[in-house]
Amino acid sequence: MSARRYEDVEFGEDLPEVLPDVGMVNVKRFCHATGMLAARFMDHEAAKQEQLPGAIVPGIMSQGLLVAAIHTWAPGCVVHFVDTVFRAPLLVDSHPICRAVVTDKDDDTRRIEIDLTIVNEAGETRVMGTAKVEL
Amino acid sequence: MHNHSVMSDDSRAKVENYCQWVHKRGVPIDGFVLSEHRKFDFESDYRSLEDEYGLRILKAAEVETDYGHVLVYGVNEDMYAAFDFSAIRLSLAEVVNEVARCGGIAVPCHPGRTRVGMLAHVRDRGPVEGVEVIETLNGGSRGTENDEAGGLAQEYGYRGIGGSDAHIVSHIGRCATRFADPIETVEDLVEALRGGDYQAIHTTGTEGER
Repeated sequence: MSARRYEDVEFGEDLPEVLPDVGMVNVKRFCHATGMLAARFMDHEAAKQEQLPGAIVPGIMSQGLLVAAIHTWAPGCVVHFVDTVFRAPLLVDSHPICRAVVTDKDDDTRRIEIDLTIVNEAGETRVMGTAKVEL
Repeated sequence: MHNHSVMSDDSRAKVENYCQWVHKRGVPIDGFVLSEHRKFDFESDYRSLEDEYGLRILKAAEVETDYGHVLVYGVNEDMYAAFDFSAIRLSLAEVVNEVARCGGIAVPCHPGRTRVGMLAHVRDRGPVEGVEVIETLNGGSRGTENDEAGGLAQEYGYRGIGGSDAHIVSHIGRCATRFADPIETVEDLVEALRGGDYQAIHTTGTEGER
């Protein structure tokens, strides 16, 4: 059961911003836990040799960070669906912000839809998407 | 002037939610244009939403050419039969000519963006005759891409529009186009775009400005 009630959520409600840790130590920890050991995730120089601007945060780590932001706002909620578009690389050792806002409420299913974005220090969207959540 | 709904493969935004968002957040626009990727939506009827929210909702398309992506306004059945909207490497020259012949106007979008924008192609192969208007403000552009689009417009005398390029609900209204006269129909829109009495404007800001 979610700590937040469907009835108390408003369309257009902003979830608290989250500043995720995408430093190299944390990203390497994620990579080793998931077996995603490609050098482009864990070595800036190796990533540059692949024409990337630096080591990049794995896509599923970005999704995990966004889901964590939802759970921080509504502990115990069920995230049924997450769909993301990776507009540009999210760099390891950068300082991004996870943002989320409620953009739909379905009274029949009692699920909400949430817009999700990860922006970089310049405010540019690197990852965006939506989630369907049951409270 | 440039928004995507669930009809586009990379968007999850429902049109009703766009309307709710504009209403709830007080986004300063009178309406918006849905420009689905590589298709035109002949079926959907948004008149009830227009009435409920006091917004004008028009439809267009975003097609893909050898000079990048292009917004097409004034789509009709003749135009839809004139070239394959679903193709991913149409000739920009052909699109511009066919759209004009069928009564519409083609507007290259996010021209400063790598690969899918017109700027780099113009630098490589020169301008395409018939282009009059480009999207100089795009809500999804990054870094200096909009500045480069503005420079391109200045260099070739193109007029500029602004478009949000929204793919999710909360991105609608990031950029817009202010017209001198009211726009009620797609025909009004095409006529206004040909006329030139409009300007691209920031509303809630482009990437990096929020």
